[in-house]
Amino acid sequence: MTDDRLIELIETWGAEAACWPEAERDAGKALLRAHPERFAGALAQARELDLMLGALPEPEMPRALTEAIIAAAPRPKRAGSGLPGWFGLKTPWAPASGFAAAALGLFMGLTMAPVASAEDEMTAEVEELVVSALGFDTATYAVEELE
Amino acid sequence: MAFTSDLDQITRAAAGDAAAVRAIVNRYSPGVLSLATRMLGDRAEAEDVTQETFIRAWKALATWEPRAKFSTWLHRVALNLCYDRLRKRREVLSDEIPERADTALGPQDALDQAQRVNAVEAAISALPERQSAALTLCALQGHSQTEAAEIMDVSVEALESLLARARRTLRGQLLDGRNAS
Repeated sequence: MTDDRLIELIETWGAEAACWPEAERDAGKALLRAHPERFAGALAQARELDLMLGALPEPEMPRALTEAIIAAAPRPKRAGSGLPGWFGLKTPWAPASGFAAAALGLFMGLTMAPVASAEDEMTAEVEELVVSALGFDTATYAVEELE
Repeated sequence: MAFTSDLDQITRAAAGDAAAVRAIVNRYSPGVLSLATRMLGDRAEAEDVTQETFIRAWKALATWEPRAKFSTWLHRVALNLCYDRLRKRREVLSDEIPERADTALGPQDALDQAQRVNAVEAAISALPERQSAALTLCALQGHSQTEAAEIMDVSVEALESLLARARRTLRGQLLDGRNAS
């Protein structure tokens, strides 16, 4: 530790040795004890600046700001109940009403729709496809049908 | 240990534990507000930065990985938000901002405590932003050298250099100026 370095420490970190870098603290303190007169000026100035800085009031956190910050924090997760909260939906009645509407639609469809016969709306293309699948010669079949 | 306690609180806060959330806010928000106030010299802006810092923290909680202390990370976010605002100010008002506030003190007898505090605050606000940050973190908030360097993302040597220049400037303005008058 040199005089110049100790003056640097005092000017940079302040008059309190506790604020100096740990690695140089003991050596600095030893030099200061040995030759206090060499560092008196630097110490006095540093102490004065320390006092000015220490006198600065800390800004107080406004309560409204604290509450606003807290209000923006993560919310607790809901406790599960079988299906975990309807897959996380906030309005669990929404899918239930959807299921009810679908069930009603299915019921109405089954009870009110006319029963379809095999002959209904059989197009020529479909007919040809059926005949082909059964192994008939469709051309012959068509001629026979005409006769 | 503070580190373990941090982690425990963060885990609980991420799960929505109201007590943990409040504990984190009570523990760290004054320091963040103080840093932002010193950096920006504007209370309303400092409050905005404090709120924004915590909003970012809440978003980060779920995926938090303790590579750094939570307080270090939080202060770094706040500091970067302050740098952003100072940069925007320079861009918008570069012609209107004086190079340095006139902080020379008058005769000692004329100074009351409030004037002295105002002068010191003005002098800190007028420092270059990284010097102001170094001074606030080390001299005002008592962060360790390592922690302050980590918050500022600089080496300990660079931190020391910034701090030395900051204190030299303040000495010149607050002490030498007063003695000369």
